[in-house]
Amino acid sequence: MNRDGLLSFLSSVLVIIIGLLIGFIVLLATNAQQAWPAFQTILTFGMRSMRNIGDVLLHATPIILTGLSVAFAFKTGLFNIGASGQFMFGGFVAIVISIHGVSMPPAVRIPVAIIAAALAGALWAGLPGLLKAYRNVHEVISSIMTNYIAMFFIVYMIQSNESIFNRGLSTSAHLPESSNLPRLFFPDIFRDALGAGFVSSRVNIGIIIAIVVAVLVYIILEKTTFGYELKACGFNPDAAMYAGINQKRNIIFSMMISGSLAGIAGALNFMRGGGVGIGIIEVLPVEGFTGISVAFLGLNHPIGIIFSGIFISYMQLGGGRLSTYGFSSELVETVIAVIIYFCAFVFITKSLIGRFIKKKERGI
Amino acid sequence: MHVIEMRNITKEFPGIIANDDITLQLKRNEIHALLGENGAGKSTLMSVLFGLYKQEKGKIFKDEKEVIISGPGDANRLGIGMVHQHFKLVHNFTVLENIVLGVETTKNGILQMKEAREKVLALSKRYGFDIDIDKEIRHISVGMQQRVEILKMLYRDNEILIFDEPTAVLTPQEIDALMKTMKEMAAEGKSILFITHKLDEIKQVADRCSVLRKGKMIGTVDVTGTSKEELSEMMVGRKVFLTLDKEEAKIGDTILKVRDLVLKSKEGKDKLKNISFDVKAGEILCIAGIEGNGQTDLVYALTGLSSFDSGTVNMDSTDITRAKIRKRTELGIAHIPEDRHKHGLVLDYTLAQNTILQTYYTKDFQSGRFLKKKSILNYARKLIDRFDIRSGEGAETPSRSMSGGNQQKVILAREIDRDPKLLIAVQPTRGLDVGAIEYIHKQLLAQRDSGKAVLLVSLELEEVMNVSDRILVMYEGEIVADVDPKQVTFQELGLYMSGAKRDEVSVYE
Amino acid sequence: MDMYMFYFILQRTMFFTIPLLIVALGGLFSEKSGIVNIALEGKMVLGAFTGVMFMRTIQGSENFLANNPTALLLVTLVVAAATGVGTSLLHAFASINLKANQIISGVAINMFAPAFAVFYSIYSTGNQNVFFFNQFMIDSVPGLGRIPFIGPILFQGAYITTYLGFVILVISVIVLYKTKFGLRLRACGEHPHAADSVGVSVIKMRYAGVLISGGLAGMGGLIWAIPSSLFAGAVNGYGFLALAVLIFGAWKPQRILIAALFFGFMQTIAATHTAINILPNAIPAQFYRMLPFIATLIILAFTSKNTMAPKALGQPYDKGGR
Repeated sequence: MNRDGLLSFLSSVLVIIIGLLIGFIVLLATNAQQAWPAFQTILTFGMRSMRNIGDVLLHATPIILTGLSVAFAFKTGLFNIGASGQFMFGGFVAIVISIHGVSMPPAVRIPVAIIAAALAGALWAGLPGLLKAYRNVHEVISSIMTNYIAMFFIVYMIQSNESIFNRGLSTSAHLPESSNLPRLFFPDIFRDALGAGFVSSRVNIGIIIAIVVAVLVYIILEKTTFGYELKACGFNPDAAMYAGINQKRNIIFSMMISGSLAGIAGALNFMRGGGVGIGIIEVLPVEGFTGISVAFLGLNHPIGIIFSGIFISYMQLGGGRLSTYGFSSELVETVIAVIIYFCAFVFITKSLIGRFIKKKERGI
Repeated sequence: MHVIEMRNITKEFPGIIANDDITLQLKRNEIHALLGENGAGKSTLMSVLFGLYKQEKGKIFKDEKEVIISGPGDANRLGIGMVHQHFKLVHNFTVLENIVLGVETTKNGILQMKEAREKVLALSKRYGFDIDIDKEIRHISVGMQQRVEILKMLYRDNEILIFDEPTAVLTPQEIDALMKTMKEMAAEGKSILFITHKLDEIKQVADRCSVLRKGKMIGTVDVTGTSKEELSEMMVGRKVFLTLDKEEAKIGDTILKVRDLVLKSKEGKDKLKNISFDVKAGEILCIAGIEGNGQTDLVYALTGLSSFDSGTVNMDSTDITRAKIRKRTELGIAHIPEDRHKHGLVLDYTLAQNTILQTYYTKDFQSGRFLKKKSILNYARKLIDRFDIRSGEGAETPSRSMSGGNQQKVILAREIDRDPKLLIAVQPTRGLDVGAIEYIHKQLLAQRDSGKAVLLVSLELEEVMNVSDRILVMYEGEIVADVDPKQVTFQELGLYMSGAKRDEVSVYE
Repeated sequence: MDMYMFYFILQRTMFFTIPLLIVALGGLFSEKSGIVNIALEGKMVLGAFTGVMFMRTIQGSENFLANNPTALLLVTLVVAAATGVGTSLLHAFASINLKANQIISGVAINMFAPAFAVFYSIYSTGNQNVFFFNQFMIDSVPGLGRIPFIGPILFQGAYITTYLGFVILVISVIVLYKTKFGLRLRACGEHPHAADSVGVSVIKMRYAGVLISGGLAGMGGLIWAIPSSLFAGAVNGYGFLALAVLIFGAWKPQRILIAALFFGFMQTIAATHTAINILPNAIPAQFYRMLPFIATLIILAFTSKNTMAPKALGQPYDKGGR
């Protein structure tokens, strides 16, 4: 790792430590006696058993993809705050195909559902892209609008179609078992002994897809001429213009690819089985915003994002156990929020660490 | 008795001494011109006086008493006002609001505009400004906006008025009016400092003139006793030719043909006025002139970075008047841009990535949509060797970490190595050290000798005289001279550049 | 549809309109000073949260405020505003002093607020839904309530906050357009270098803008929560809707009022349209909820080339630049 990479990595670690520290202080302030065991749970629960490890990977899947979505746009100089809406659109389309496409064999249906979700996310993200390229509308503002439009639209679509609506639970209907993502050999690995038998994590092929997509994103950004163009537009739009690169086209493509990643995230999230569905509540899915922290914590690098996604999922899983100690799981979300806040000036922490290292090198 | 004295001011920026031990004395009631080439340090000196920069050494005295000016607020309190080159006006505030901003009168917290209005109207009337003070800034002309800036100073009862190149944005009529206003203000007790490159204006209004060159004070003279030629010489100095081995130019066919380019600003001021010229193979044609006389607009028009109102541009026999940038590049136009950090390089890319900025999609560097990393690195290494580019980590050095001279070499290498027919080089040596300058000049000559057409845009007179085979001088968006460097003197060029002299220039056969 | 229903809808419209108006005006102060504020949502949540917590505590105590609803409400509003101001310090510090990305810091606050509110609610009450006793509705303002038409809409079944909303609107117009402070604040959002060159402190002005914005957003959050008698740790996107109100209102107070009325009306229709027999039932509630966002998107598409947004919005102030 070169010096700059090292600095970036250290600044991420510093940001995580600050976030955790503030989380610990909140725990101490609310209930000092339970604070330490609760904090330990956040730090260790994710690896206490093979099943937990499987669950960490399961929940990391969608946020790795939304993280990639945010990072991809950011590399082109765009801030995709609309991942939530694209995630919902992707999930919705995947659910519809999973339920209505039962005539297709699963080996066809599942890929079709994922690809359709990617397309849906791409189209939905293309709108802010178009508005940015041709009407100079800031993508953050238009994405806020498209997020809510998507949410209301999808909630309505589910509610008004009996075939995809589970009235009792007030969510989208369960998918047929055959539409759930294959779990391969994972259940035999990621399982805990329970009585005479085993209980397995629902981790599935999704995590592999997410990692493959991360590698693909890396290849697109680093190895192709298209990635070269996109990054040139992001780093220096004036130089891109000087080089004769078509910026409008790149803005739209970048948003669409970013949206397709969020769309895939939605598909993989809702095709994991176990009763998860789109709720009839008017709240944006949190995965889109978590993606922002995953992206920045992963330094907007596709491979870094695999790790930051797993890390955040790991903390969330531990956070889910906090009720044992009388705390609620939202604590972890506040820790993540603190991490995002410090990511806002990660460049400053970077330069601080850089100065610190320099001093050390000079032996002061 | 000096109303302002700046004594032994030194102001440094990283790598450059912008003001080197400068002493400037301003008398009451005088109009004092500050003359100098680009980068001579005039604006820096005035920014120190206005509190925008803090000097490293030296003191400032007002009415013989030492003062410390650490911000525009301090300057305002001392009665120092400044009209900046780029106006500091809020576009959707009215004229009146802009004038009172910062010195508002209030009663119980509520703005009281009545007195202000009366005072502004009275001032406006006294100087014949004919200005509608309830109009928003965005709805009035640039000339009017400048009057607002003047009114801002008058409203504050400032007695020391600084004008930073006030005529650059004005029409001739507006310039006349401004000169008249300046004289009136001086007559009423104000003292004026006036940054300019234009000798005519100095002759017209200034009482005394201080000349700066390369950060140093050359001297202060009475304008009436000094000729334009003498002023020009003080400004440009007695320059010597660097020894540059130069063969006789072998002029070939016309490569670039520009006819009647016209560009008007939103306010209707001419930015480019019927520009016509040819650039031929085997020659270095130099566009000389003071910064801001339309050179940038001209280059943008030729390279496609921005459009223009009318006229035609032909490359060989192809009409490229409305061609896209990539088309122009493919037709053989190379461009060393004025601002290498803005246009020339993607600083977050490596050296190698920057060498393929316009060619990344060609078969040399792309196969099946993938970048050919090996070929790119090899290509970059070839350029590093050939052009002696120094970098810490070779082809994979982050461009941001390279020195300015080596960054410029990367651009030069990239542009030359594309084997263009026409090389447009805009201030290619700006900010570089002597060694790098010499190197770049040699490369430009080598291009010319290999039969390329070279269009050099330069503000540096030595460069203009040493390198070029033919010189066009631009002044106020027009070509005012077409001269042979062997038959023209520095002083003459200075006169052309500062608008004191002009020829009728025609290219029509 | 009878008159009762008509008045009922308009009264309800006020419940939505007033918080939107106040929060959008909050956003206006921040953006007029040049700082993007997408954290309105989070500031609303925290304002509502501390306000409701405070109110519960008082209502369950012997404090004299417990028997004096109007005074309690006013004090609680101050608590909510103070929370918003406190939260804004974080946003201001990141975006003004550290010149950090204003969007990321806003996202962080939006994420922090509901998580923290829920965490603390569960810790202190054992339930995500925090209930309080809504004793603040005014059945009819003496005298004014009997004015025909206006009376039933504005002076019956209303909250004192409705009048507060209009007072804040009037004060905002005066502060922004009639005072020295407002002139300077707006200058910082349009051309900070111009402000600086006449001795105005851009940093102070921007702090003021962001802090006022937080105070109003916190207050607006509480006002939004009051009619429902409970707070569940979220304001359901109303902070973002307020941002849309601000954009739809073209950063002008009077137009913001109109936008807030329109958006508030749409929310009311969404909530009550099944009871209104003149509107077709086939149009779902979500359509009305969606409409303001679609309208704002269209407005953006047609005005952004000639936007009314402050010119220096979102750009950190760098003294050296020109």
